[in-house]
Amino acid sequence: MPTPSIDWPAVRAAAFRLTLPRTPIGGRVGERLGSGTGSSLEFQDYRSYAPGDDLRHVDWAAYARSELLAVRLYREEVAPRVDLVIDCSRSMAVTDEKLRAHGEVTALLACACASTAADSRMITTASRQPEPLLRAEDVERALACDAARSALEGGHLPLRRRSLRVVVSDFLFPHDPEALLPRLARDGASLAIVQLTLRDEAEPAAEGGRRLIDAEGGGELDLVMDPAAVREYRARFDRLRAGLSTAARRAGARFVHVTAGRPVRDVARALAAAGVLEAA
Amino acid sequence: MIFTSPIGLLALLAIPAIVAIHLFRRRFPPRTIAGLFLWQMLRQTPEGGGRLSRLPITASLILECLAALALALILAGARLSPAAVSPHLVVLLDDSASMAAVNARGERARDRAVRRVLQEIDRLGTGARVTIVVSGERPSVLLGPAALSIEARSALDTWKPAAPDHPLALGVRLARELAGRTGRLMVVSDLAPALRGQPELEGALWVSVGEPLANVGIVGAERSLSPAEGRGTISLTLANDSASPARRRLDVSAGGAAVLTRDVDAPPGLSSFTIAIPPQLPPARVTLSDDPLQRDNEVILAEPRPRIVGIENRLKDGRGRQALAKAIDAVTGVTQAASGQLAFVEAAELDRQAAPGTWRVAFGRPPAPWRANGEPRDFIGPFVLEKRHPLLLGITLGGVVWSGASPLAPGTVRPIASAGDQPLIGMSAVPGASPDPAVIVNLDLDRTNLIRSPDWPILVSNVVEMRRQALPGPDRWNYRIGEWVRVRLGRDPKGPLRLRCGAIERTLPAGRQLEFIAPSPGGLLQILEGDELLFELGVNFLDAREADLRRQATADLGALADAPGLRAESGPASDPLFWILLVLGGTALAANWLVLSPRRTAA
Repeated sequence: MPTPSIDWPAVRAAAFRLTLPRTPIGGRVGERLGSGTGSSLEFQDYRSYAPGDDLRHVDWAAYARSELLAVRLYREEVAPRVDLVIDCSRSMAVTDEKLRAHGEVTALLACACASTAADSRMITTASRQPEPLLRAEDVERALACDAARSALEGGHLPLRRRSLRVVVSDFLFPHDPEALLPRLARDGASLAIVQLTLRDEAEPAAEGGRRLIDAEGGGELDLVMDPAAVREYRARFDRLRAGLSTAARRAGARFVHVTAGRPVRDVARALAAAGVLEAA
Repeated sequence: MIFTSPIGLLALLAIPAIVAIHLFRRRFPPRTIAGLFLWQMLRQTPEGGGRLSRLPITASLILECLAALALALILAGARLSPAAVSPHLVVLLDDSASMAAVNARGERARDRAVRRVLQEIDRLGTGARVTIVVSGERPSVLLGPAALSIEARSALDTWKPAAPDHPLALGVRLARELAGRTGRLMVVSDLAPALRGQPELEGALWVSVGEPLANVGIVGAERSLSPAEGRGTISLTLANDSASPARRRLDVSAGGAAVLTRDVDAPPGLSSFTIAIPPQLPPARVTLSDDPLQRDNEVILAEPRPRIVGIENRLKDGRGRQALAKAIDAVTGVTQAASGQLAFVEAAELDRQAAPGTWRVAFGRPPAPWRANGEPRDFIGPFVLEKRHPLLLGITLGGVVWSGASPLAPGTVRPIASAGDQPLIGMSAVPGASPDPAVIVNLDLDRTNLIRSPDWPILVSNVVEMRRQALPGPDRWNYRIGEWVRVRLGRDPKGPLRLRCGAIERTLPAGRQLEFIAPSPGGLLQILEGDELLFELGVNFLDAREADLRRQATADLGALADAPGLRAESGPASDPLFWILLVLGGTALAANWLVLSPRRTAA
């Protein structure tokens, strides 16, 4: 079972956290302003007094002016919900380099979740209950890339309402981005798409005759990888990436393409530049 | 370029096979990828190449063809230089003891043989190949087959001829097989071919390196014990193979202590004498003073432990009992016992159980279950005897009136002497009877004249000897080399059985009876059961033919055959092309493996 070795000091040294959306978000009681009423110091609204209301919240000045009892409502403070969707299919471990990069990106996002003090969960498959991400190191449990298919290819993912959703995958499976991304973004507070591929997957070289074996399906294809074939492949790959980017924009999601082999800090900067992370 | 096995060039057919495989079944290095669907829409390469499709010249194709070419050339025995042909000399050395005879100059026939062989090898040159066979009852290869000539000297140094007289036919046959059609055969002996059983030897050189010498040797030796007289004796037979009498000093020692020393005169020819020695001595070593052949100057003799047969005479009083007692008195190695190993009884007792280990010899009328209807009859012959049966050795029954022979029921007796269909002497064959054998002598002793005939003491002696042979212990205590040694244990062995004779030590198959050949070079032979010594036997040379050195001669007969010689396939190292091809083929295979390696291509 392939699992990456993660350079945790380098990952932690990046010091980033998740970028939260400007719109209020849902979640348990925490440190972030929520969408409902609560007990924060930020005034939200008035409403008529009802028996049982806390008398400390009665606006006595307004009562003096209008002889109507009204209570002040304050915004609630919540811990944001984060659903980290991790692609644990065999394609993410097609080479050691890709597996290592997968581990680093996922670890980077797990650290960011921890820095955000979020209620984070890891989703690796549609069929299993998500696992809580209490510490960043917990992410190592989800990185056994031995699944025959990606979680995104399956059925309904157990995503929570109004959660921040971060998806890490190579998206190298047949899909329609215009259908996939809206499904991922539905009822969520935000969605970030991180596409991780090898440089060789984005820009393959003309290597001559090869028997191509699919890492997940096991399908085989004898092909002469000549410049024309490579050119055609690159065009298809670019269209796939552009389709994801366009669909992400339409769904209000952030999209970033990461190439394996880059240093962790560079990857973190790329995620920050795309608005997925921000400096802690 | 020369091919030593041109048929190996057939392996070149592998090259068109490889091309065909590449043409019709392209084999690409595998590579694992993540998104096969992105490639699937591209132009696919068909698995089978069409007739008009061009053969892809891939690195794999080139490497595989290169490897096939190199391996085919190796199989074909490709050489840059022709293989050398070396003369192959096959030498058969006569291993008989007379080859160790020393002449007046202190030189042995063996030394002359070695010198002659080395001369012949030197004459053939340093590239010669040599095979040396040593003759014997079971010829063996001392050097080779086809060893380098420089190994001959060290191999010959280990050769110590000591075997008894034997024909060289088996050795010649083995040497001829080893020589084949390419080798030259040379036989080295100290006798002329006819004296070694090879009157004709075509296509070979027979070298006789012997020298006639006068010799005195021990050719016969026995040791006996007379318990009644309380003394032991050693009987020796000396052969003086010369024209003049000789005097030798005879030493007898036992257990490391000298027993006696005396001078003995040996007239020309054979002479025998007996020496008295104390009884109960350990194995005695008898040596003669030095002469040309040492091998026949020494014997070791174990004292026999006589197997005494305990005899019971339970016959009823009368002529028969007296005649039996008289005959037993004439037999040595017996004792009268109340419960012995051999009982002479009335046949009427046969339906009673005998004591375990007691063989019975029954005379008279058998009990009712053994008898058939009819009255006893007398017979005057002719008698039918089973001559090979140990009980009847030397018995003729000439002039014997066999009286009182009762008709016997069928199946009760296995006859060994009979008159018509009437069994006279036989072994009991009654099922469920005593496990020990019983001899039925269907005879009325009081009326027959057998007891007055010469056959009577012989019959009694045969019965006693038959029983003696079945007692535990060896048949004899002193043997010649090559004789069969038979030892009866009389029980199942309690531990592993071993034989030790000088430097020879080997395990014996477990059993109640041991049989093996007295090993060469002889000496004291010990039979051990675990660590316990069971028997000590003497094994001696005692070969009159080898002791006679008067027939030895020096001569060359025949000539070395003009054989084509051995193609000196001195291994692959002999030609650099082999190594070049091997490296080339190996490298091509390794490179091809690397090219097609999934690990590498997946990276």
